[in-house]
Amino acid sequence: MRRRELREGAQGLLMVLPPVAVIAVFIGFPVVAAIAYTLGRAGGPNSVVASLGQRQFIVQHGVTLDAYRDVLGNKTIHRDLWATVWVTVLATLVVVVVSWAIALYLRLADTRLARIVSGLSVVPLFIPVVIASYAMLVFYSSDGFMRSVAYHLGWHSFPTLGFTLWCVFLAEVWVNIPFGVLMMSSGLNGVPNNLIEAARDSGASMPRVVRSILLPMNVIPTVIVATFTAIYVLGSFTVPYLTGPTAPNLLGPSMSNFFSAFNQPQQAEVLAIVVFVLALGIGAVYVWANVRTGKRSAVAP
Amino acid sequence: MSVSFALARSAGRRVLWFLFVGSLIVFMIGPIVWLGLRAFSGLWLYPQLLPKQWTVNGWRQVFNDPNLSHSMKLSFEFAPVVTVASAAICLPAAYAFSRYKFPGRRFLLISLFAVNAFPKIGLYISMAGVFYSLNLMATFLGVVIVQLIGTIVFMTWIPAAAFSAIPRSLEEAARDVGAGPLRVFFRVTFPLAAPAIFVAMILSFLASFDEAQGTFLVGVPKYITMPTEMYTLVLNYPEQVAAVFALLLAVPSVLLMALVRKHVMGGKLAEGFQLR
Amino acid sequence: MSTERRLDGAQQRAEAPASPAPERTDVGLQIEHVSKDLGGRTIVDDMQLEVKAGELTCLLGPSGCGKTTTLRMIGGFLIPDRGRVLIGGNDVTKMSPDKRPTAMVFQNYALWPHMTVFKNVAFGLRLRKLPRQEVSDRVAQVLELVGLTHHVHSYPARISGGEQQRVALARALVLEPKVLLLDEPLSNLDAKLRVRVREDIREIQQRIGITTVFVTHDQDEALSISDRIAVMSGGNVEQYADARSLYREPETTFVASFVGAMNSYEATVVPGGLELPGKLVVPCDDLSATGDGTFEAGVRPEDVHVSLNGDGAPADVVREVPRGHYKEIVLNAGPNEVRAFVSADLPPAEHVRISFTRALLYRDGVLQRSSAPVSV
Repeated sequence: MRRRELREGAQGLLMVLPPVAVIAVFIGFPVVAAIAYTLGRAGGPNSVVASLGQRQFIVQHGVTLDAYRDVLGNKTIHRDLWATVWVTVLATLVVVVVSWAIALYLRLADTRLARIVSGLSVVPLFIPVVIASYAMLVFYSSDGFMRSVAYHLGWHSFPTLGFTLWCVFLAEVWVNIPFGVLMMSSGLNGVPNNLIEAARDSGASMPRVVRSILLPMNVIPTVIVATFTAIYVLGSFTVPYLTGPTAPNLLGPSMSNFFSAFNQPQQAEVLAIVVFVLALGIGAVYVWANVRTGKRSAVAP
Repeated sequence: MSVSFALARSAGRRVLWFLFVGSLIVFMIGPIVWLGLRAFSGLWLYPQLLPKQWTVNGWRQVFNDPNLSHSMKLSFEFAPVVTVASAAICLPAAYAFSRYKFPGRRFLLISLFAVNAFPKIGLYISMAGVFYSLNLMATFLGVVIVQLIGTIVFMTWIPAAAFSAIPRSLEEAARDVGAGPLRVFFRVTFPLAAPAIFVAMILSFLASFDEAQGTFLVGVPKYITMPTEMYTLVLNYPEQVAAVFALLLAVPSVLLMALVRKHVMGGKLAEGFQLR
Repeated sequence: MSTERRLDGAQQRAEAPASPAPERTDVGLQIEHVSKDLGGRTIVDDMQLEVKAGELTCLLGPSGCGKTTTLRMIGGFLIPDRGRVLIGGNDVTKMSPDKRPTAMVFQNYALWPHMTVFKNVAFGLRLRKLPRQEVSDRVAQVLELVGLTHHVHSYPARISGGEQQRVALARALVLEPKVLLLDEPLSNLDAKLRVRVREDIREIQQRIGITTVFVTHDQDEALSISDRIAVMSGGNVEQYADARSLYREPETTFVASFVGAMNSYEATVVPGGLELPGKLVVPCDDLSATGDGTFEAGVRPEDVHVSLNGDGAPADVVREVPRGHYKEIVLNAGPNEVRAFVSADLPPAEHVRISFTRALLYRDGVLQRSSAPVSV
């Protein structure tokens, strides 16, 4: 028995090795190198980048936090950081609320309209992000649909949202809604009808059923949607690059600017690590939530 | 699934609800429809709601531009290669994650996701060093790898969830009647998990098809794919041409996703994101 | 949200007469000409049923007969297309489940997995904004009633199926409903537990005297705990009677074959007995009717008299099945198969004589009855 377990374990490890190796070599190693680089170490895999970069803070021995000081002391970066945090929080909130609403609508009133709404809400999944960003930009631009319709409705000074953080926010919401709706629907469909009926039978109104039964039973999907959306928005590049303003914009485009426009790869990496740390913090919530409920419902009926 | 209770009984709430649904519909498909109109528009001035003239000039321009058509061809070469490679690497791993107990199982499952939390731009900058030293810059393989790493998470997670959803007793029953482990996998396990694997492969195809920054960084100047070209187009070409190109780029995605729509809506994608 | 309007389930019911008719205390539940179509199919068709206050009625029938649909209409989870549902004389046909004085025990219990046993039971009381102390008192009381004193703060996933069943029952009873509805409540329990729990349910039901409707497809279950049983088929009640008359005098061939075992033959009445196919005349003491032409004759296995010699039609023994204190023997009498329950003492034999002590005669599926029992 014991030997069989060992053999299975070895076989399992062997089978997961290929993707883990690819990740380790092409992501893990570069990430470690990037961290070393931001701490002032320019050797090894960093030598090529370091030989071309400007305004670097390099040490031969030990580490230095000068690159971090340089970046985090930068007023422009402060504004970018705030823009990133705000857009992330706002987009995450809206995605969670809207996808909850759509999924709930579909779960409780399985009408044709509900199915159309949920069908439409996954459309962005079919559209490449580049296209999506471009479409959003055109839709909210100075000669776009929103302004044209507003004009015909008598609102001649409807703001141009294209190339503003609002457009970035709207586009991030648009891109993340499908995942939210799919997750929430899947979660809500996992709640059996008779649990809802039992609550109704006990005297609960529909809003109360939502609050006391559906909400607590759908915590995990909600956490998943919130964390994945937040991590996606934090690290996104295409959406803010195409739809956002020059400055302040999200950290994704500013990373790219530091790298290609200012030729300051070290500063770009510092930003990447700042975003990474934020994302890991959010990711920890996701893992924690999964582990926690995994324990309680291990023997669900 | 019908627990049909009226959601909003009062007229006021009903109006609010219809407003919500209405604006949602405009928000979700308005941009795509508007972009579609752009692709066929000649003269179109603000604040007209429809173009004054219709034309297919944009389309002609795209198909006559050798750069653009070449990038289309390239995109269709990379995506299948990446998908197959990703499946070959990840599916055994997905099976192992769902069926075997081994030390560090959960840690590895989570790390797959954790490394993906590192922002892509930052990753590509430092990855360049590795690619230089391995002579992967501006090579076909280099582009495949850079696109591949974006597909690993869902190529592992989604099939792993599907394997876990198959009761072990089904496999054991097949073993019982004398099928070997490989035959059990291909005759029992694989067919049952096929929809989820299919979803993962389509997503992988599209991820590769849409990947732009990494491809640009590694592939330039030899390998410029459609989405990479799109960045240039948005900035340098007339709006109409960009719209046409955008629609073309969206076509395979729409077709492929329509193929797996049923499974995606049925929760195959969602299941992949619950850690077990 | 309507909880403000009612402080307590019982009180609310007393002060909410939906129709001006004075409340009748003898009638628990009335179903009047109720019909329901689902997915283009008529599931319940002009059904009528009256359950007396404090009575336990079983809806018994094969799957698809409309029994669960009927129960769901009583509980308010479905609204009838036609007809009325009255509880204590009040029309509740269109009332939503949260407003009507019914409580349901669901087939797989439907306990909320994220709430402990206590919270599951207390949920309905808390909705009514009762004081904390009263909530916990009433929960404790009802848990004691159903015999569940341990695991009060466990999650449902942690307790056994039988215990979950009790929690579901407690959750339904705690609101003191006027009508208790049970939807195949025992189908998820193993055979032994099933017998014990059904007896417990019966005992609790009688102790608190609650009007109860119990849905099952298990005739044994229905016969052993009900005051009356409504056998359903094709969306309608075939027969509504107590266990004994249902068994002794099934009104239709459907009921006859569904409840208990029954030999059935095409037969004509001849002097002294019944003539079965193969020109076989079997003596019969007691026929439900007489007349010319063919009947469908139903004979319970215990109404087949088997003797080693003497009078009666000849039959060959095909096989014997020991059943404990009696045995079942399968016989061939001419072309007819006859099943009989006989004493375990009857010595084994190959050739025997049979007669019927009692036979029920049906025409077009309906029991034919002469005004007085007919002896031939």
